[in-house]
Amino acid sequence: MSSIRLMDYEPTVGKQTLEELYLLAEGLKGRRVKMINSTAVGGGVAEILHRLVPLLDELGIQTQWEVIKGGEDFFVVTKMIHNALHGEQIPFPSRMKETFLEVSRENLRNTDMDQDIIVIHDPQPIVFIEAKGKTHAKWVWRCHIDISNPNGEVWEFLKGCVEQYDAALFSSPRFSKGLPIPQFLFFPSIDPLSDKNRELEPEFIDQVLEQFHIFRDKPIITQISRFDRLKDPVGVIKAYRLAKRYVDCRLVLAGGGASDDPEGEVVLDEVRTEAKGDPDIHIILLPPTSSLEINALQRASTIILQKSIREGFGLTVSEALWKKKPVIGSAVGGIPAQIIPNLTGALVYPYNDT
Amino acid sequence: MEGNPFYFYTSSNLVELTGEKADTLEELLTLLRRCTGSAIFYHVFQSYRERHFAIEKYHSDFAQWISNSLDEEALAERLGSLDVRDFTSIRSLRESMIKIIEDHLHEHPQIGYRHGKTPFFFCQSISVVMPTKYIASSLEDFYQIIGKIGIRSIHYHLIEARLRLGIDTNDFSHWVRDSLKKDRLAQRIEGIDIYLHTLEEIRKMILHYIEEEMKT
Repeated sequence: MSSIRLMDYEPTVGKQTLEELYLLAEGLKGRRVKMINSTAVGGGVAEILHRLVPLLDELGIQTQWEVIKGGEDFFVVTKMIHNALHGEQIPFPSRMKETFLEVSRENLRNTDMDQDIIVIHDPQPIVFIEAKGKTHAKWVWRCHIDISNPNGEVWEFLKGCVEQYDAALFSSPRFSKGLPIPQFLFFPSIDPLSDKNRELEPEFIDQVLEQFHIFRDKPIITQISRFDRLKDPVGVIKAYRLAKRYVDCRLVLAGGGASDDPEGEVVLDEVRTEAKGDPDIHIILLPPTSSLEINALQRASTIILQKSIREGFGLTVSEALWKKKPVIGSAVGGIPAQIIPNLTGALVYPYNDT
Repeated sequence: MEGNPFYFYTSSNLVELTGEKADTLEELLTLLRRCTGSAIFYHVFQSYRERHFAIEKYHSDFAQWISNSLDEEALAERLGSLDVRDFTSIRSLRESMIKIIEDHLHEHPQIGYRHGKTPFFFCQSISVVMPTKYIASSLEDFYQIIGKIGIRSIHYHLIEARLRLGIDTNDFSHWVRDSLKKDRLAQRIEGIDIYLHTLEEIRKMILHYIEEEMKT
């Protein structure tokens, strides 16, 4: 992946866009940036950073990427924080706070902060801001998740950290908060040259469908997402059953896990129970290396769904639109910014259960 | 002998989130009265710039929200039919939008406090304007550069210009008229309907007009 150069994007974005990127980067040339997040594989943030870091380097902005380390205890807490920021009303006992702070501080001790700009992605490494006073850097909190309606206790705990940053970046105006720091809108992106998005040979797509025993005898509706309650996979099955009364179709629910998500298996079991052996429902658990398979499933689909209850941005929507697929998505998070109703898909508002 | 050269600029936007939102038409009106000029600019122009590949029903975010979230199609149409080419200042644009909404609320007071499906979030735009390497000294240069300049540069000179200049034209027509003394071409560029075409289509139209001008 790292061998991709900016010029490789010229056929997609045009020479002018690349020229504008160089113009914008001119003022930042020589600056050193550090990106910090919680997982090297799985999930949108890791995917973006894999590609973004070398491209920023090529523009003359020296960029380092570090991934924080933690045991299962830590990631149980960060997953709980993630869910709480998405609005789940769950207790946040002091021992969890202590685990979160201790592991964060341990990571902080092992990280050099000699850069000019530090970008902290999501809440997992948010405590790193404690080092701000010892650095000359500008600190940015890049929030990829939907914090439009967070659990009050958890948000209050994190807010103390957020307010110390120099700026915060959100993927949707819906997430902006009453903060004393500047807040900006910043959309994440997909990579048109990656295995997940590049053009595929029709034979390969057929082969992937065959591998997962999916026949193309009827329209295929697909949701690609982690098996996570916030993506409402059980709700997707209910919606499919409603649609099937009118149009015979297949449903594909496919997704992988991430190393910082210990809850995936529980949700997968719930989904399998809900599917109750319907031969037209295909539940596919994919390893993190399945980009080509995801690409093929999206390209073979008639309609793509993204029935999230909360959504940071919804890169799977971007991927589907890139492949010229109509998308039906919930009007949450960054999804309304992507779907043009009646032109590229449809938005479903939160009060519509299915 | 031709006059001053044309320096092509391009602009990028940093979008600042104001944290202010409207759930109802009354709240939208209140915020419209007090929001910054750059918020008006952002919500009237960003959709067209960022979705320059699609012809949407309404370019203005305000009209889109009133249509999609409040289902007040008549008001959305009235707001959406405001032609930005009729305005040379954000102040006059803001006043016209407020007047349309006030009139609608006067006729239909019951809808003022009805909640939309989703709130309207106010953002504002911080423009980063940058000079490009492209400079035109003649109609021939201008033609070559229009064919290859970025779409954001076309938006900057053709659409944002009238509010920046405070005059009833755009940068291209202004230069073509003043420096090249080609009034007919300037008028044809001014006459392009930005609501019916994507920015790429507009590029092609400008190129076509220049070709015809060069033939005469």
